[in-house]
Amino acid sequence: MRQICVLTLIILSLLGCTSTQDQPSIYLSDRSPLPTIEDQAVVPLRVSVAAVISPKGTVESYQPLIDYLSSKLNRPVELVQRRTYAETNQLLQAGEVDIAFVCTSAYIAGHDDFGMELLVAPQVKTEAVYYSVLIVPFDSPAESMADLKGKVFAFTDPISFSGRVYPTFLVTELGYNPTNFFERTFFTYSHDNAIMAVAEGLADGAAVDSLVYDFAVQNDPSLTQHLRIIHRSSAFAIPPVVTGPQIRPQLRATLQEILLAMDNDPEGRKVLQSLGFDDFVTIEDAAYQPIRDILADTPPLTP
Amino acid sequence: MTTREETNSNRLWAVAGGVNIRTKILGIVLALVLLLGAAVTLQVRATVSKTMNIQLEEQSVSASRDLAARATDMILINDMYSLHQLLLDTEANNSNVRYAFIVTPNNQVLAHTFGDGFPQNLLVANTVETMEHHRTVILETDEGKIWDTAVPIFDGQAGIARVGISDQQLHQTVENITTQLLITTLLVSAIGITTAALLTWVLTRPILQLVRATQAVGRGDFSHRVNRWANDEIGDLADSFNKMTVQLAHAADEHAEREQLRVRYVNGVIAAQEDERKRIARELHDSTSQTLTSLLIGLRALGDACPQPEIHTRADELRNIAARTLDDVHMLALQLRPSVLDDLGLPEALERHIADCRRHYPINLDLAVNGLESRLPPNIETALYRITQEALTNIFRHAEAETASVIVEKREDKVITIIEDDGKGFNPNQASHNNNHLGLYGIRERIELLSGTLVIESSEGHGTSLFIEIPLSPA
Repeated sequence: MRQICVLTLIILSLLGCTSTQDQPSIYLSDRSPLPTIEDQAVVPLRVSVAAVISPKGTVESYQPLIDYLSSKLNRPVELVQRRTYAETNQLLQAGEVDIAFVCTSAYIAGHDDFGMELLVAPQVKTEAVYYSVLIVPFDSPAESMADLKGKVFAFTDPISFSGRVYPTFLVTELGYNPTNFFERTFFTYSHDNAIMAVAEGLADGAAVDSLVYDFAVQNDPSLTQHLRIIHRSSAFAIPPVVTGPQIRPQLRATLQEILLAMDNDPEGRKVLQSLGFDDFVTIEDAAYQPIRDILADTPPLTP
Repeated sequence: MTTREETNSNRLWAVAGGVNIRTKILGIVLALVLLLGAAVTLQVRATVSKTMNIQLEEQSVSASRDLAARATDMILINDMYSLHQLLLDTEANNSNVRYAFIVTPNNQVLAHTFGDGFPQNLLVANTVETMEHHRTVILETDEGKIWDTAVPIFDGQAGIARVGISDQQLHQTVENITTQLLITTLLVSAIGITTAALLTWVLTRPILQLVRATQAVGRGDFSHRVNRWANDEIGDLADSFNKMTVQLAHAADEHAEREQLRVRYVNGVIAAQEDERKRIARELHDSTSQTLTSLLIGLRALGDACPQPEIHTRADELRNIAARTLDDVHMLALQLRPSVLDDLGLPEALERHIADCRRHYPINLDLAVNGLESRLPPNIETALYRITQEALTNIFRHAEAETASVIVEKREDKVITIIEDDGKGFNPNQASHNNNHLGLYGIRERIELLSGTLVIESSEGHGTSLFIEIPLSPA
């Protein structure tokens, strides 16, 4: 009789284990509206970086600069990214960002459209210039842009000078219609993704910012086993740091001062190193005239 | 073993012993199947639950890590539409995902899958450090357990991805498995019961047949034989049972034969005894009595003829001796075989015997005879007379009784005789083997020869009663 009792107890307890439930601490059905994000008490300085490299790469490279600016200005600084150059330009025009690292063609468009102003330009190896480099997979037989006819080509951003305008200019120079020279084209929206697209064989070729390419190779030397450069453009004025038309002159002056003085400061040099720059210098709009000329010679591009 | 346990085990035996073998075997099979089924079900439930819990946790981690990886760029470039789409896809592509949401580094919800509003306390229920791989907690919610995993996005610089995996499907699966196992157990039980029923039929059929056969043997029917159904222990039992009944039948035959011989012999002895007594009694009566009577007449004549007073006196003395001897001879003849039993029947013979006894013994004696208007068969009359004679002799010799009574009554088909006394009594159970009670043995013997029954009621100090019942054969 006692065995039966014990057995019954065991069975009951086992059943009990499955049926009892702890008191819920969270009610998923009891929902309330989220609080609206409050305006921060201190307005941060907003820095935009055009999508030359991928969003993650941008954060990795520019976060030290953001932190540096924050400590120098003694106010929070926020990094704002957008997918395209055009969106970054819109942010500048609307005054939603204070300063921006933009592409050369984006500067020209912004300068001509709404008065984007040059703040400083980075200098690499004592020159404030860069190149557009045409890259192909390492085992590709192509030796020039002419050999890429009927191939798959990766553009970076629709209005990128080095990634879209310059290769289109090369095709036009060869006497072809850019719209049907390549079998297929696609946008990667950043130069590092374009490099990876070629390295992984997604595209038969791409034109990228030489600064990004050098930086990528520096970070991952094995890339040279997958890629090679078949063409390097003449030197163009480097993509500048710009301000929108709505920035206060005093802030603009302070920012310029901080950026120009960075190479005199050990902290600043560390930041410059992470960006792949030697220092910042002032630059005149005239330096971008060759680019304006090429833009003028290139047929209008559809985004 | 304590007393209580003993009681319990006794009770268990009482229950187990109270049912037949068929029920026992069915019970064993059913209990085994149910026990096994229950054990397997519980084990499988536990194992499946455990395995699936682990899988849910892994699923929760992989879903949130995947979300974190894919959400990074969308968060960095503020692509809220794609981010929201990604969350909805995460929820849609995995049926276990109950919710997914993104928390900014400032600990605010950037995007979520709840649609309208956001559950209270959910945001603070789990978090993760920037350098951690992930952190999973089990949340008790109104919709059951939720495995909530937090994964830092882009080392926490873009916030935290949170995914909640619900265990509803797991519960459903476990319930389904349990149901299936229980159904299987019931099916197996049904098969088990059928098989057990068949098995018990096979097992108990020879046993039941043996039971019927032993009952027949108990009734004295040795002709019953059982079949050997199987080559097992029960088959051996059947064989040995058959052998036993053959031997029993043989022994019974022998016994009956011997009994018949004995009865015939005893009957012969009794008849010879009675005949002998009758002859001696007649001889005493006819020859010896006549001689003594002649002697008496002679002595009287001698006395009358002789004038000498001395011889006359002497002849008178001799005549008195002869007269006493004649009385003794009469008495002896009467005791040996009262001719009145043959001539006038049992009542008269008993009457005379009782009267004789009254003369010789100081005891109150009653006799009551009912329904004996017609004569009984001579052997029964003789037997009842001798039994009464023997019983009374016993009473006079041993009982030290003051009063005794004899009742003889004829019913329709039997004669009942009751002989009672108020003497010192005895223990009837010890009497049968005692030499002092050879008389009782003789009584019993006579009664059994006539297929009658004898009941002795006696205890020490409370007198003795003999109840004798003798059937009258219809002839």
